[in-house]
Amino acid sequence: MASALTVLRRLYLSIYNWLVFIGWFQVLFLALKALKESGHEHVYNAVEKPLLLAQSAAVMEILHGLIGLVRSPVSSTLPQIGSRLYLTWGILWSFPEIIRYSFFGMKEAFGFAPSWHLWLRYSTFLVLYPTGISSEVGLIYFALPYIKASEKYCFRMPNKWNFSFDYFYAAILALGIYVPGSPHLYHYMLGQRKRALSKSKKE
Amino acid sequence: MKVTLVSRSGREFIKGGLELNDSATVADLQEAIHKRTKKFYPSRQRLTLPVPSGSRERPVILNYKKSLKDYCDGNENTLTIVFKDLGPQVSYRTLFFFEYLGPLILYPVFYYFPVYKYFGYEEKRVIHPVQTYALYYWCFHYFKRIMETFFIHRFSHATSPLSNVFRNCAYYWTFGSYIAYYVNHPLYTPVSDLQMKIGFGFGIVCQLANFYCHIILKNLRSPDGSGGYQIPRGFLFNIVTCANYTTEIYQWLGFNIATQTVAGYVFLVVATSIMTNWALAKHRRLKKVFFFYLSNY
Repeated sequence: MASALTVLRRLYLSIYNWLVFIGWFQVLFLALKALKESGHEHVYNAVEKPLLLAQSAAVMEILHGLIGLVRSPVSSTLPQIGSRLYLTWGILWSFPEIIRYSFFGMKEAFGFAPSWHLWLRYSTFLVLYPTGISSEVGLIYFALPYIKASEKYCFRMPNKWNFSFDYFYAAILALGIYVPGSPHLYHYMLGQRKRALSKSKKE
Repeated sequence: MKVTLVSRSGREFIKGGLELNDSATVADLQEAIHKRTKKFYPSRQRLTLPVPSGSRERPVILNYKKSLKDYCDGNENTLTIVFKDLGPQVSYRTLFFFEYLGPLILYPVFYYFPVYKYFGYEEKRVIHPVQTYALYYWCFHYFKRIMETFFIHRFSHATSPLSNVFRNCAYYWTFGSYIAYYVNHPLYTPVSDLQMKIGFGFGIVCQLANFYCHIILKNLRSPDGSGGYQIPRGFLFNIVTCANYTTEIYQWLGFNIATQTVAGYVFLVVATSIMTNWALAKHRRLKKVFFFYLSNY
């Protein structure tokens, strides 16, 4: 009974990881294609569907209880500067995600992943985290005046449950979290890298 | 007897070890370590028996009252102890005092001062009776907690890591402000009079019950905190292991029934999950220490 569950689990995780890998690969492909053929203003429209799918995976991962990063999906309409940042975000994040999901896909489906794969997974973040995080922060920051003006996702008082939500303030809070959050995550990944790469050397 | 002190990596922590009386207690050892190292006062030291490498068992923590002889099985003259630095420590009383002081002071600020002006609301506002009662209820609750900290509770561990001060204060102070903001808001919508009375009435009963639970727990231990773990009996402890947490949770439920804010209910959910974890751990610990606890509970 236990091993049947294990097989099921591995099957599910394999499918899940490969699916999300395809999603992120699509994001990258479509982003580059749109960039080349139509210019950066059209990138968001091109990648929106697979991007949202891949982003939703992040929520699934919380459910899966895997170690994952949750990135705030900023889905407001943005002008030119915003779209350039979107492009950066979509492309930069698709790199580590492609690597990460295929890595898990390999492990779940085949039971192992080659060492160069492991190296990629634990080394690309060194560049991609700072650049990815900067583009996220930049995105949120540029979006702020639009968020405030549009009043999107705002829930106001008075109401029966004495509750309110203001997307503008939530975004500012999110920016605030990046300040301690980013060095902490980066440091954590450095530690993970040390452990993973030294462990594979021993084997 | 010679005590060899190692760190968890196996490295010798105090070169040459320490020489102690055969009749020395763990407390004496702690003193000796403190004398040698100056930085590591006793409450910062975690002393354990070495665990064979690869073993998944939790190490045995030395009890400061026991004599060192109790821990040497076999070799009378040498003992190897593993040392871990727990980091700077504060007394539980200090920790609790600052945690609870925040909500006690911050909540009235939202009630008495024109804070909402800075959020873009007009200064003038109508204060509903429920908001005043909520203020009294809330402040009484945290005042009670502070009084219990100094006069009722008997702590098994004297100290807690300093980092907990920041973590715990962040938790209490943030939630306190978050709730205070909504309950005292100029656009606050009160519930019916009946619902308010039921909420506060139930909450007060639970707070009194909670106080009595604390008295029962206090009487399980002697004033210096020794007495270790005991099974609390009587009153609601005949129904649940941690009746003190139960009454605390229901007391917050009463507050929320009366004040009805999402912020308050979010706090209730978080606090309940924290206390539930503690209660499960305590129940497990008591079952381990008192095997017969199982038969009835």
